[in-house]
Amino acid sequence: MKIGAMLGDVFRSLFRRPATRQYPSERKAAPQRLRGKLHWDAEKCTGCQLCVKDCPAQAIEVVMMDKADKRFAMRYHLDRCTYCAQCVVSCRPGALSMSSDEWELAATSKEPFTVYYGDEADVERLMVGLAEANADGAQEE
Amino acid sequence: MSEILALLFFPGGLFVLAGGMAYEWADRKLVARLQNRVGPRWFQPLADTVKLLAKEEVIPSGVNAFLFLGLPVVALAGALTAAIYVPLAGLNPIYSFPGDLIVTLYLLSLLTLCTGLAGANTANTFSLVGATRTLTQLFSYEAPFLLALLGPALAAGSWQINQINAYAHDHWLLLTQPVGFVVALIGLMGKLELPPFDAPEAETEIVAGALTEYSGRGLALFRLGRNVELMIGLTLVASFYLGGLGNPLEFFAKTLALLLGLSFLQSLMARLRIDQTVGLWWRYGALLVLAQWLALILIGGLAR
Amino acid sequence: MTERVVMADKREKFIIPIGPQHPALKEPGHFEFTVDDEIVTDAAVRLGYVHRGIEKATESRNWIQNLYLLERICGICSHTHAMAYCLGVEKLGGVTVPPRAQAIRSLVAELERIHSHLLWLGVAAHEAGFDTLFMYSWRDRETVMDVLEGLTGNRVNYSANLLGGVKFDINGDQGDTIRRGLDFLEERTRYYLDVVTSDAVFLQRTRGIGLTTIEQAERLGLVGPTARASGVARDLRIDAPYAAYGDIPVKIVLDSAGDLEARFVVRIKELFESYRIIRHILDHLPEGELQTKMPRRIKAGETISRVEAPRGELFYFIKSNGTDTPERIKARTPTMCNMASVAVLAVGHQLADMPMILAGIDPCFSCNDRSVVIRQGEEGGAWTWERLRQYGIDFYRRQS
Repeated sequence: MKIGAMLGDVFRSLFRRPATRQYPSERKAAPQRLRGKLHWDAEKCTGCQLCVKDCPAQAIEVVMMDKADKRFAMRYHLDRCTYCAQCVVSCRPGALSMSSDEWELAATSKEPFTVYYGDEADVERLMVGLAEANADGAQEE
Repeated sequence: MSEILALLFFPGGLFVLAGGMAYEWADRKLVARLQNRVGPRWFQPLADTVKLLAKEEVIPSGVNAFLFLGLPVVALAGALTAAIYVPLAGLNPIYSFPGDLIVTLYLLSLLTLCTGLAGANTANTFSLVGATRTLTQLFSYEAPFLLALLGPALAAGSWQINQINAYAHDHWLLLTQPVGFVVALIGLMGKLELPPFDAPEAETEIVAGALTEYSGRGLALFRLGRNVELMIGLTLVASFYLGGLGNPLEFFAKTLALLLGLSFLQSLMARLRIDQTVGLWWRYGALLVLAQWLALILIGGLAR
Repeated sequence: MTERVVMADKREKFIIPIGPQHPALKEPGHFEFTVDDEIVTDAAVRLGYVHRGIEKATESRNWIQNLYLLERICGICSHTHAMAYCLGVEKLGGVTVPPRAQAIRSLVAELERIHSHLLWLGVAAHEAGFDTLFMYSWRDRETVMDVLEGLTGNRVNYSANLLGGVKFDINGDQGDTIRRGLDFLEERTRYYLDVVTSDAVFLQRTRGIGLTTIEQAERLGLVGPTARASGVARDLRIDAPYAAYGDIPVKIVLDSAGDLEARFVVRIKELFESYRIIRHILDHLPEGELQTKMPRRIKAGETISRVEAPRGELFYFIKSNGTDTPERIKARTPTMCNMASVAVLAVGHQLADMPMILAGIDPCFSCNDRSVVIRQGEEGGAWTWERLRQYGIDFYRRQS
């Protein structure tokens, strides 16, 4: 039985640097497998909607823009996503991947939390469509 | 006129308040570094005090409002009054008279008594348990702590603090009364409710002990009182046992060295239960210091 | 006229409530201790503050979505929940998982056990007021968190499991990182074992406190390291091996003292066991694929699966009706079994020992609030959602 069994450790700590990492002035390099923000490759997508079905948080919406051309756009809700990577596994053509360095996703407003992927014109049409739908809803009320 | 300045600014009043906050910061920083952490920045205690003073003071129902609001003021007043009799910053105390050691020790206990009363005043079960523990701890360490501080008084043959200070300048009582030094240091930890004697303020058992219901100005005054007590306690023990305090450099060096020792003891041990604290003090503390006194009296008698 | 004089108990009951909000509790739970001058004379436990309706929510999600929902029942034992679910569903679907996937599952489970026990060591030390041990053990726990992040992609809620296998592979570099982390942790764990068994003040707070005899442990139905600290030799990895544990020799860690010190010692010694098991898995990792195909609709049937979580035996009942959403999933977590012992053991101890005794069973309140018990009147049968809702409204109306 001794008094102060941690004396060695405690004494040595006086001469060592603290173990605290001073974030944000120093950032640790993120590991390669880190599950950060989702990225979508429009070229590879076949529109099978398996990712939409399997997402536990309903964070992905795949919208068909042109049936003949097989063009799709994706609306991704950053704030609903649980970063589980099930969609990455479910996607057979491999159109989805999770970034390993975009993980500081906090924002001060809600707009950055809805991310649109796809062709520029498609995305604009989607956003205009969304604004119109909102306006219609407001008029009905 | 110069006395009023001394009371308000230096070395009483503002100096003691600022010094208390500086010592609290040093204590927290040292404990943090010993635990391999960074610790707070230098203005943290000041920021805490300013924030608390700016907050609304909530008076819970079922308490005596006069006592609730008045006890923190009395506690801080007691601590500040005790400051005028000790050699702060290594200079002579502002006031001094024979027997002022007893008055100072009584004034230091006033803070603990006010904490206990404040806890007993409320209807909160946590505060009641905390108040009981505070007063139990007060009764247990007070006698050995007093005796440990009166040992140097016996050796110096006087009850006046600045005379004991002058006597200690030539005699390092750390070497001739080592047991008294240890008991005084550990008694200081008990008085300030530092770990391992922080059962009255055990965060994981009774939230915040006697001061659970306090917020805002009352809490700020209690905390300031505790910081002032830390500084005065360190001054007393350093001046009696570490060879007196003659100039500011000696003051800071010796009190900071003592603070380092206190920080080590704080970080090394787990919290003692209140019954274990009482057992420790009444078994070992009191017996050791009584044995020391016996030795002093015998050796003093033999020398004559 | 006879008067019946009723002598009221003059001493009113002094009840100290610990929770729902209290610095000793990391999650809400309510404990009422009736105290007579620092000695506890009676105790009552009330749970249910973290009930989120997860079991009901599983009935409206498909099998794949449920994997991630159930993983989030608890943050510290998330992988074991997911593993128990996967094992049960794979049994129902009649699918054999390749051995490499099972081995990787067991490896992540052992890494999670290390993380959980180190977390517990810090928290229990903090409840005793020993902040230094708390800070140091949590600093060392960062090593295993970094290993898990490099291996799986996240520090908690690893999402390593898939229905039919695992998501990722372990290559040589990662194996080396794991081994280096384990070497560092093993040396530190040896140091902590020494501290916990020899520090005089800490022993005063743990030796002889919360004494549970082996008969009491069997009667109260304790599981996990709490029971093994009283001498009950029950470990699912040995009694009913699952995943890759059939091929790995697991030694049971027992202690006969039954007090808080024994619980500390058992959990720290289990850490050594986990290091050994992980090294064994890394050395004997079988070749093969990582995943087999699972059908989207699982055959109708019911099954149970049991897994040794860091806190004890985790029990899952899964019932399927042939569609792609489950019929009923019930999770019985280990803390549910151990919680009753707190009320029983608390009596006779001092108030200051209460947080320690509570921390000694390693409570996980999020895991706990799984079931809702409804005391019925005369009628039996199943209640509809509307009836349950009305019952709740009436209950609270009656209280006020």
